[in-house]
Amino acid sequence: MSAVLGITNVTRRFAGLIAVNDVSFTLNQGEILGVIGPNGAGKTTLVSLISGTLAPTAGDIAFEGRPITKLPAYQRARLGIGRTFQIMRPFPGLSVLDNVAVGALFGHGGGESDLDKARELARAQLDFVGLAKFADQRADELGGPSRKRLELAKALAMQPKVLLCDEVMAGLNLVEIDEVIEVLKRVRERGISILVIEHVIKAIKSLSDRLLVLHHGEKIADGDPDTVLSDARVVEAYLGRRRA
Amino acid sequence: MKGLRWILLVAALVVLAAVPWFGSDVLVQFGINALLLAVLAQGWNIIGGYTGYASFGNSVFYGLGSYGVAIAMVQWELPFAIGMVFGVVLAVAFAFLLGLPVLRLRGHYFAIATLALAQVMIAIVSNLSIAGQNIGLVLPPLNDDRLFYELSLILLIAATATVFWLTRSRFGFGLIAIRENEEGAAVMGVNTTLYKVLAFALSGVFSALAGGIHAYWITFLDPASAFDISLNVKMIIMAVFGGPGTVLGPVLGAFVLSTVSELLSSEITSVAGLFFGLVVVVAVIFMPRGVADLMRRFRATGWRYFVKNLKAHRI
Repeated sequence: MSAVLGITNVTRRFAGLIAVNDVSFTLNQGEILGVIGPNGAGKTTLVSLISGTLAPTAGDIAFEGRPITKLPAYQRARLGIGRTFQIMRPFPGLSVLDNVAVGALFGHGGGESDLDKARELARAQLDFVGLAKFADQRADELGGPSRKRLELAKALAMQPKVLLCDEVMAGLNLVEIDEVIEVLKRVRERGISILVIEHVIKAIKSLSDRLLVLHHGEKIADGDPDTVLSDARVVEAYLGRRRA
Repeated sequence: MKGLRWILLVAALVVLAAVPWFGSDVLVQFGINALLLAVLAQGWNIIGGYTGYASFGNSVFYGLGSYGVAIAMVQWELPFAIGMVFGVVLAVAFAFLLGLPVLRLRGHYFAIATLALAQVMIAIVSNLSIAGQNIGLVLPPLNDDRLFYELSLILLIAATATVFWLTRSRFGFGLIAIRENEEGAAVMGVNTTLYKVLAFALSGVFSALAGGIHAYWITFLDPASAFDISLNVKMIIMAVFGGPGTVLGPVLGAFVLSTVSELLSSEITSVAGLFFGLVVVVAVIFMPRGVADLMRRFRATGWRYFVKNLKAHRI
């Protein structure tokens, strides 16, 4: 397995706070890597560092072996890095279809320049995540669970090689979580490597090939899900010392 | 339905184009002003309506266009057309030089920064001998209102066609994505810095051309009137009144408000300004998305449209 993403000794400071501290890991081709950790562990910061909306204070990020640490977010998107936002960021005034079409118009490789073709591609992605019937609604009229799917469709329309999912299951009920898990598994079948941040441990355990645990910005475990979840430090981080 | 719309549009254009042949001198002069204001509102629509950056710097482009024409014609004795090109070059250069730093600001901060630009320009131009310092420049007169009218109309058509193209192009979608959510646009691959500067420059090109036509028509300009900030306020009001981020809204807004303002100032001169302000306040409260949105939705919602907007303001 070759590494698609290589994170090496990455640190991000916000004034006095170290949100991500000297973290290193790789995301392999075709892999689903789960990233878990308590609130404030630095998970979203990590995704922002990889997608380029934040610059690391120190360390290097490589995509397919090529350093991207200094590239702006839009260039990383064109290389093939797509992300979703935990706090959903649809383009509220646009229709659901056009929201996704933006991904097809830009995205990996610079995107499709023809608007009609881009809308066609967008429609296919809406079908894929199960939002086809909302295509002509305004994005801000969608409910929470549908917005999560919209985030996914927008990122997928970019035809990314790597998909970074920031809590796409938060706030969903059990049935909806299962549906999203199915969608993500089918995304992987397309050859897209996925990094999933999640709070719902049960969901991420069944989805991930490998788990990485962040705590206070540091990586405290990385490996096979079962092994990681029984690791004493991980249990302590989640449940506290006495119960461990 | 779509065919009918095109026929109506063409008919309206033919009538507009024919005005100088049947209208009075006063009507033609009012027409030139209204058309140029519509160009300014449409130009502002590109950066303010589509990209979401409320620019108070468009009157700078207008001033640069005016001075481009004036300097070329008075100081260098070049033809008007070359003056227009010179004005556009100045505007584009300005958009890139100052757009790069200023477009890093968002919301109110961007508005305030651009507001200062016009004041700075007045100070600079007042001290340039090539621009006639604070006395200004007098252009060679050309008494042909018909020509100025048709030039203004052609410019308005070009500006509106450009905005129409925005609604169907990748570039335009990039701008809308920036307006709706800039960070979201960047991670989807939109080169936000480049797009914003291009939008600013494109908006500036139309403002500069309008300024150039106006300068040659009026044959006189000085720093204070060329970089008049109230002109910028006017274009914003017109674009917002008509419907920012729509193709025809700003044009409609400019025509309606020009007419209202003209009627008021000829009927009840002393309180005209007050009434004009009142019209704007009422419009913002009852139809904040402009005339364009009102016309689209009124048939479905009826009078409830106004009630809904009123409630949305929590008044």
